Amino acid sequence: MDPATSPSSPSPVAGPAITPTSPVNYDDESVKKFIIATLVWGIVGMLVGVWLALELAWWPANLGTPYLSFGRLRPLHTNAVIFAFTGNALFAGIYYSMQRLLKTRMWSDKLSAFHFWGWQAIIVSAAVTLPMGMTEGKEYAELIWPIDLAIAVVWLAFAANFFGTIAIRKVQHLYVAIWFYMSMVITITVLHVVNNLAMPATFTRSYPIYAGMTDALVQWWYGHNAVGFLLTTPILGLMYYFLPKAANKPVYSYRLSIIHFWALVFMYIWAGPHHLLYSALPDWAQTLGMVFSVALIAPSWGGMLNGLLTLRGAWDKLRTDPVLKFFVSGITFYGMSTFEGPMMSIRGVNALSHFTDWTIAHVHAGALGWVGMSIFGMLYYTVPRVWNRPLHSVSMATTHFWLASTGIVLYIVAMWSAGVTQGLMWRALDANGLLQYPNFIDTVTTLNPFYWIRLVGGSMYLVGTILCAWNVFRTATGPSLSSPAGHPAATPHLEA
Amino acid sequence: MSDPTRDQPLGHAHEADGIEEYDNQLPLWWVGLFVGTVIFGIVYAVDYHFISHRSQVKEYDAEMAAAPKAPEASVAVGAITPDMIAAGKEIFAANCVACHGADMHGGIGPNLTDSTWIHGGTYPEIVHTVTFGVPEKGMITWGPILGPEKIAQVAAFVHSSGGGQ
Repeated sequence: MDPATSPSSPSPVAGPAITPTSPVNYDDESVKKFIIATLVWGIVGMLVGVWLALELAWWPANLGTPYLSFGRLRPLHTNAVIFAFTGNALFAGIYYSMQRLLKTRMWSDKLSAFHFWGWQAIIVSAAVTLPMGMTEGKEYAELIWPIDLAIAVVWLAFAANFFGTIAIRKVQHLYVAIWFYMSMVITITVLHVVNNLAMPATFTRSYPIYAGMTDALVQWWYGHNAVGFLLTTPILGLMYYFLPKAANKPVYSYRLSIIHFWALVFMYIWAGPHHLLYSALPDWAQTLGMVFSVALIAPSWGGMLNGLLTLRGAWDKLRTDPVLKFFVSGITFYGMSTFEGPMMSIRGVNALSHFTDWTIAHVHAGALGWVGMSIFGMLYYTVPRVWNRPLHSVSMATTHFWLASTGIVLYIVAMWSAGVTQGLMWRALDANGLLQYPNFIDTVTTLNPFYWIRLVGGSMYLVGTILCAWNVFRTATGPSLSSPAGHPAATPHLEA
Repeated sequence: MSDPTRDQPLGHAHEADGIEEYDNQLPLWWVGLFVGTVIFGIVYAVDYHFISHRSQVKEYDAEMAAAPKAPEASVAVGAITPDMIAAGKEIFAANCVACHGADMHGGIGPNLTDSTWIHGGTYPEIVHTVTFGVPEKGMITWGPILGPEKIAQVAAFVHSSGGGQ
């Protein structure tokens, strides 16, 4: 805020030689808080996920109590990993990178603190109400209306802080990462408000203002674009900042970033009806959802290409740098699941895949692979820098990488196999035209071995996350970079 | 690789926190993929709705027409044999116990061992009830699921082991 501390030139030095002591006093305390919250809620959310996987493989794990039953724990898992783990991670990465990209401290410390504590309060209230069975019954928008209102207030505080910082920025150029963050801030506001419009009946109950098919269409317009604008575009923003920073390479193509950005945000918003193929939704709306989904392959792959091609000449760094390992793995899963998604939105494929575990495989390739791995890459980059200490253990981070990667592969291969098996069993007819497996339990017992494999894969991913949290804890409490006991060699290119 | 326009940095205007940007051409195969998927979408939508006039209702009708024909739901009733009762016991255990109970004393569905028969307790009446179901009360229409042979068997079991008349 103090003009005397602003740099004389909006863009200091090109290339890696960043000034060692920046004149801007960045708010890294907020970044630290969001990082800690990311890891705490990440472990909680993934632990609930592992418990649900156990319940599906071995039902007595619900312990006979409604509070731990699948129907109540499942929204707790999805809300925790999407809004608590990913949400806090996005805020950490955005607060860290936007201040540096704009050479500006966050606009308001008060709003930053309100944003952090307000978001944690929302998460705690979700963790209490969902196991109690309080829900609006809309997937990924289960939270009851008072919490929805609180989300809107806290989110708008974040938006004010975000755009306030952009308004007082000391760098003219808005780097591509900022566009992607912007698309999230604007679109999530609209999605959250429109989908949660409801008439309160009591403090914990409400009725949506939409009915029937309209309600379903609004819900999946929201649901699909929550994936698009919370789990895709801001993560691409993180990639555009942290990947070239870690690789110390220029971004491959500015024009590709412009074209794939606008193509992605324009097309994503139309693709929601692919969640409602073969439903009461009119055929023309189903067609719209399908063709926009298919046309999303190239805009999605534009981000993958810009990420991977940025690494030309830097692939050797993958051997040693956990940050690049995690980002490259994340980008690879992104390319895979953004091809799989459009394929699943094709009518004939969806007829087989819908309602099966194939969908579960798809979302976890995206969530564990793209979102999770990118978040860990961001954490391993920011943690040594905001705490100004070398990473406690690079080998522990490498172990985390292999545990997580192997865990994802086990998870999605098991769920692909389960999903295709399930879909084929549901439609199998015998010679008389009768259902070959008329009882649902036939499919459940057939899929049980896959559920155990999924449990193993998910547990490996959770153990990796716990290793990461331990590594971050030891880093934050370890010797600082300036002390003789520090090992600066472990984290090259450290800057303030 | 010899393209002189490759890897030209955009310069100072596009430097952000030490990150530089090249302005490389879009990969040609990527442009082809983008244009190709958009053209596919247009062609598909026009064909689906205006040329082939497809719809999910027509698709359903066509699949039903092509599927192997389920035997006509019939209530042809023969004599009950011990083999039928034995086979019917297994069918009952696999399909019916969830509602009627393993001991046939009922639960979600009515008791089958007492003398009260809501839809008739003779063997032909039981075959009829199982075949066509009582959808308004939750009793499944088993005809197209089990077929006449298995229905004859399970009805034989219910009639002999329950309170058949």
